[in-house]
Amino acid sequence: MTWTVFAVAIFNAMLINNVILKQFLGICPFLGVSKKSSSAVGMGAAVTFVMVIASFVTYAIYSYVLVPYGIEYISTIAFILVIASLVQLVEMILKKFSKPLYKSLGIYLPLITTNCAILGVAEGNISNIYTNYGSSGMWLAVFTALGTALGFTLIIFAFSSVREKLESSNVPDAWKGVPISLVVAGIMSIAFLGLQGIL
Amino acid sequence: MLTITLEALIVPLFVLGGMGLLLGLGLAYAADVLKVEIDARIEKVIELLPGFNCGACGYPGCAGFGEGIVEGEVEQLSLCKPGKDSDYNAIMEYLKSTPGPDGKIVEVKK
Ligand code: SF4
Repeated sequence: MTWTVFAVAIFNAMLINNVILKQFLGICPFLGVSKKSSSAVGMGAAVTFVMVIASFVTYAIYSYVLVPYGIEYISTIAFILVIASLVQLVEMILKKFSKPLYKSLGIYLPLITTNCAILGVAEGNISNIYTNYGSSGMWLAVFTALGTALGFTLIIFAFSSVREKLESSNVPDAWKGVPISLVVAGIMSIAFLGLQGIL
Repeated sequence: MLTITLEALIVPLFVLGGMGLLLGLGLAYAADVLKVEIDARIEKVIELLPGFNCGACGYPGCAGFGEGIVEGEVEQLSLCKPGKDSDYNAIMEYLKSTPGPDGKIVEVKK
């Protein structure tokens, strides 16, 4: 596989099939941790870390353990196991090295475990890449995960910046807070529809 | 008739069990390397909070609020909306009776 394949995979996963705005995965942290752009970026970094490593490990486990033994049906449990452990690890690392970030992420940090975007990418890699390339698609899977995670970070950062501006703008009372944010999210999603069909 | 071979039962068990064991050991090791000292009172106060993680207090969850209390950033316990008087009293009593590692006592209002 050449580099163009990887570049296309990243571009496609990041912008065209954006996890949040196109596949509607990972909405919980998208709404929960987007009040401040600093914590949004922190969340993006944590998700990136977990997503990339989880994709690598789950792809390896799937192709070298589950398939040879013919037990592909336990993939969901096995993947969740890997993801949960990685999130624990991230939590410990953040607690040790970045207390303020740990605090601002709060309950949303352990909730990355149940962030459907991560399991979604791991399972999507299996159904889209493994079925076509077998175990040699590993790197493609990792790059897809990287692109997805970058897309997640980009969107959550953009959204949080808009929300910060909204804080100080004159919004009708009934629309203050979450309602106007949801409208913004909807408009962003429509805007990203414009990228359909580029590739 | 549905036949289940012994192998079909045991292999997944061993695979998952083995993965769990490996990951668990890895985490135990990481927990040891990345240990941080925290004020023992924080955990106790978090336990005494309602535990809904609803965020009404302005923190992203009960853990944040509990830490805020012990570190003295929280002015009023009643910021925790789902909390009852009995919860507030239990926390105030506990904090009154337990000095921190530096011997100081945290004071909060209801
Ligand atoms: S308001 Fe109370 S119950 Fe809700 S998150 Fe804060 S401390 Fe927990």
